[in-house]
Amino acid sequence: MTSARGTRIMTLARHEYRAAVRSRALVALLAVLVLTTIASVYIGAADYRSQLADYNAYKAAAQASGITQVPPAPLALLSLLRGAVEYLEIIGAAIAITLGYLSVSRERASRTLALIRSRPVTPGELAVGTSLGAVGLISTLVAFTAAVGVVCLGIIGHDWINGVQALKLLLAYLASIVYMTTFYALGVICTAKSRVAANGLMVALAIWLMVVLVLPQIGDTLDADNQVPGGLFASLGLGKPGETAILTHFTTYEKVRTGIEATSLAKHYERFAFAMTDVKEKYRGFSLGHLLAIKRIEIEWLAFYAVALGAGLRRTLRRQPAVPQGGQP
Amino acid sequence: MIATIAVQHVQSLRRQRVVVALVGTLLAMTAMAGLIGWSSHNTIVRVYDQAVRLLAADGKPAPPNPFLLKPSLSLLSNMAIYIPLIGALLALVLGHLTMADDESSGIGRLLFSRRLSRTSYVLGKLAGASAVLAVGLAVSLIASVASLWLVNETLPTGSELGRLVGFYGLSWLYLLLFALIGMVMVLVTRRRSLALLAAMGVWLVMTFALPQFTSGLRPTASLNPITDPASTTQPFFDVTAKARPFSLSEQYKTASAHVLGTATGESGTETARRVVPLAVSVAGLGLLTTWLVRRHDYSRGSSDD
Repeated sequence: MTSARGTRIMTLARHEYRAAVRSRALVALLAVLVLTTIASVYIGAADYRSQLADYNAYKAAAQASGITQVPPAPLALLSLLRGAVEYLEIIGAAIAITLGYLSVSRERASRTLALIRSRPVTPGELAVGTSLGAVGLISTLVAFTAAVGVVCLGIIGHDWINGVQALKLLLAYLASIVYMTTFYALGVICTAKSRVAANGLMVALAIWLMVVLVLPQIGDTLDADNQVPGGLFASLGLGKPGETAILTHFTTYEKVRTGIEATSLAKHYERFAFAMTDVKEKYRGFSLGHLLAIKRIEIEWLAFYAVALGAGLRRTLRRQPAVPQGGQP
Repeated sequence: MIATIAVQHVQSLRRQRVVVALVGTLLAMTAMAGLIGWSSHNTIVRVYDQAVRLLAADGKPAPPNPFLLKPSLSLLSNMAIYIPLIGALLALVLGHLTMADDESSGIGRLLFSRRLSRTSYVLGKLAGASAVLAVGLAVSLIASVASLWLVNETLPTGSELGRLVGFYGLSWLYLLLFALIGMVMVLVTRRRSLALLAAMGVWLVMTFALPQFTSGLRPTASLNPITDPASTTQPFFDVTAKARPFSLSEQYKTASAHVLGTATGESGTETARRVVPLAVSVAGLGLLTTWLVRRHDYSRGSSDD
C-alpha cells in the first residue's frame, strides 16, 4: 500500500468515526449498553464480595484450627462479566446494525458520497476506509465496556484480574469486536440495498431477531434437560452417567438441535466468550492453549461469518451509486 | 369520523401489506411454539421410557412421570416468550407506521385543513391499530387451538379455552403498549429512523434490562420459558425490587404463565394485580399520544431518513 493510498484510507476512516460519534441515536443506545453493563457487573460483584468474605472467614477458621489443606475458593472472578457479555451479544449487535444503517443513510441524506467520489478516491479505498472507521468505533465501544467491567470487578468485587485473566478477557473482547463488526456489515448491506433506508434497517433488525434471539432460544428450549424446572434428568433421579446413557438414543435429535444452534452466529460468540470468561465451570481448570483448541470450532464459525459478511460489505460499498437511485434517502 | 379514520388506517396498512406481514408472522410464531411444544412432549415421553428401562435394569423403581406434572396448555408456553420478543417488535413497527406515514407523506397536513378534531384522529388511528393487532391475535388463537387438538388428540375443554382467550387478551394489551410506544416516539422525534431506534431502545430496556435490575434475571434467561429463580438476596434488590410491578415484560410473562395454568401458587386476584400496571401504562400512553398529537405541528413534516 502506497503512503498516499494509506493516507486517503485513514482520512476516510477518521471521517466515518467522527460522523458516527456525532449521532444521538448511537449515543443513546451506547448509554443503555454501558448502564446495563455496570448494573449487571454490580449485581454479580456484590454477590461475589459476600461469597469471598465467607470463604476467607472459613479459611481463617480452618487454619486457626490447624487444618493446612484448605480447598480453593469455588469462585471465578471473570464469570461476573457474564451479564456484560450477554448485553454485548444482544444490545451490542443491535448497536452495530444501527451503526451500519447510520453510515449509509448519513451519506445518502447529506449526498457526500458524490463529493467524495469526485476526489481521487477509488471505490475500494472508500470501502476499506469506511470499514476501518467502523471497526475503530466498535473497538472503542468494546474497550470502554471492558474497562467499565474490570474497574467494577476491582472496586465492587474487591478483586483485580491477573495477567492470564487479562489475556482471556482480551480474547473474549476481540471476539466481541469481530461479532459486532459482522452485524455492522449486515446493517450496511441491508440499508445500501434498500431504496428507503428505514426499510433496510427493518430487514437487518428482523435478521438480528432471528439470529440473536430466536434460533438460540429454539436450541435451548429443545434441550431435553431444559423441559422441566431443575432439569428433566434430575427430576427422574438420574445422574450424569444415566443422562449420557439415555442421550445415546437421541443422537439424531441432538444433531438437529445443535444444528439449529450452529446456524446462529450469536451462539458461537456466546460459547467462545463464556469459555474465556470462566462462565462455564467445566472449562475453568483448562490452560489457555487447551481452551483455544476446544473452542476452535467457534473461532472458525466466527471467522467464516466475518469473512462472508466482510466480502459482502466490500462488494456493496464498491457498487454503491454516488447519487441515490429513486426512492427516499 | 373515528370509524372513518380507523377504516382508512386499516386499508392503508393492508395496501402496504403490513396486515399480511403481521398476521403471517404471528401465525408462524404460533406454529413454531406448537411444534416446539410437540417436540418437548415427545422428548419427555421418550426420555421417561428410557429412564424407566435403565432404572429397571438396575433394579430401581420407576420415578413419577414428569410429564404428568405438566398441564396441557404448557404446549404453548413458548408463546409467552415470542409475544414480548417478536410480537412487541411488530407492534412497535405498527405503531411507528401509524403515525409516521401521515407525517412524512404530508397527509397529516392535508387532514387537519379539514374539520377534523385531533382527538378523533388519534382515537381512529388507535382503533385501527388495535383492530389489526386483535385480528392477528385471533388468528393465532385459532392456530393454538388447532395445535392443541393435533398434539393432545382432543379439543381443549371450556376452561382451557377460557384460559387461552384470557392469555390472548392479555397479549393484545401488551402489544398495544408497544404500538403506543412506537407512536409516541414518532411524535417526539424529528426523524423516522431516530423514532424507530428510540422505540427499539425502550423495548430493549423493558425486555432485557429491567428484569435483571428488579429480579436478577439474566438477559438470555429471559428467553427460556422454564427458568430457575435467580438469587435476589443482595441489598441491591431491596431497592430495585420495589420497581418490580413496573417491569412490565416480567409481569406479562408471569401473568401469562398463571393465566395459561403453566405456573401455580398464585390466586386470580394476585394475577389480576400484575395486569394493573400494564393497563395503567397503556391508558397513560394513550393520553400522552392524544396530548402530543394535539400539540404536534404537522406543517413541519419529518425526514424520511
